Amino acid sequence: MRAYRALLRKDLLLELRGRELVPAMVVFVVGALVLVRLGLGGERLAGGTRAATGLLWVVVVFTSMLALVRSFAQEREHGIWDGLLSAPADRSAIWAARASATFLFLGVTQAVALPLFWLFFLQDGRSPSLAVLAAALALADLGVAMLGALLAGLVSNVRAREVLLPVLFLPFALPLVSVAVRMSVDSIPPQNGGLGALQGLGFLALYDTIFALLGWALFEYVVED
Amino acid sequence: MNGSHRARPDRATAAATAAALLMALALAMIFFYVPTDVSEGYSQRIFYFHVPIALTTYFLFTWGAVNGARFLLSRDMSLDLKSYVPMHLGVIFGSLTLVTGSIWANIAWGTWWFWGDTQLTTFLIIFLFNCAYFMLRFSVEAGERRAIFSAVYAVLGVGLIPLSVIGVHVAQTNDLIHPITFNENGANMDGSMFLTFLVALAAMITLSVTMYLIELRGKRIDDRLRAIRRLAGGEA
Repeated sequence: MRAYRALLRKDLLLELRGRELVPAMVVFVVGALVLVRLGLGGERLAGGTRAATGLLWVVVVFTSMLALVRSFAQEREHGIWDGLLSAPADRSAIWAARASATFLFLGVTQAVALPLFWLFFLQDGRSPSLAVLAAALALADLGVAMLGALLAGLVSNVRAREVLLPVLFLPFALPLVSVAVRMSVDSIPPQNGGLGALQGLGFLALYDTIFALLGWALFEYVVED
Repeated sequence: MNGSHRARPDRATAAATAAALLMALALAMIFFYVPTDVSEGYSQRIFYFHVPIALTTYFLFTWGAVNGARFLLSRDMSLDLKSYVPMHLGVIFGSLTLVTGSIWANIAWGTWWFWGDTQLTTFLIIFLFNCAYFMLRFSVEAGERRAIFSAVYAVLGVGLIPLSVIGVHVAQTNDLIHPITFNENGANMDGSMFLTFLVALAAMITLSVTMYLIELRGKRIDDRLRAIRRLAGGEA
């Protein structure tokens, strides 16, 4: 636990001092939302709030790629790996700290993205339930962060890692996005059945649990030597 | 030559013979024995290819992942190839599933692809995962590191398969048209159809086992040849 706290502090301090990742993610998410707004038609919103809600999730996934691609970049570029691996601590602490840092970075980015989403896309007072969307985003971010930390560790010393990571990650994002989109869209009034919030959130919690267990168990193999 | 070297070709030959016989029997049953489906007509016979190929693909993915997990626990490099070969065959059978499924969809529903169908979508996710496995494997130099990375990703697939099945099922509520092969009451088809399906499934699994044995042998010969070349190069 001490190792986890120290590593998380290191990740947050590095970001606070270097401001390398979060500002880039915020600018990216704003640009992507503008792009989607223009893509759905400048004046009239093609597909309405439902299409926009689906595309919000696509933007969320692509933004998280930025965080994942830069995961362990400092460790790689400044030769910190050897120090981390030779420390007498459980290696899963490295994974847990990286996942927690990514989770926080995604949270900050979405705190900017959500108000913009409301501003850009919502018309006629119809919007997905804020509580459902926020809970779904938090659970999805957790899953993305935990799985992403494992995959980022996997490709950290592989050539063409920036290209490879999204390719490895996207198949895992598909079930997540399909449930999250359906749940968010079905919370837009008038609600005529569809996927209940509890059922959707239950699935996201299951997703998080599975990748928490797999990430914790497999990270040790990824970073050995 | 010792006994173990003689045993391997025998196993592959036996599997190939069994696959040829079962495949001939399956084809004979599909075209001359099984009755024509009342609603879909003659073209419904593609079912006896499509469903066994799809089930064989799942079998191959599971086999690859199990051997990947065994490799991580034991570090026996022979298990790396035993994990890679089923994953590779899984791509071939997976592509065939998508092609035969698409043909059947066009015949039965008049569309090449239907996004509302949970089984098609689930299969596509797993197929993309398998393609990503190869991207990873061929980005790493051959050796233990590549074996570990491939095994870790293959094991992650074990998490993805149930999540895809549940996730797509939860998200899509209009799955009304995909034929249900099995339900809680057992096989959802007539006795002769079920028998033909079982023979076709046995033929397809035996064919995949034969391909596995042959490819595994080829890969082992490749590895030995590379080792000999390295040795010869080093000595020169």
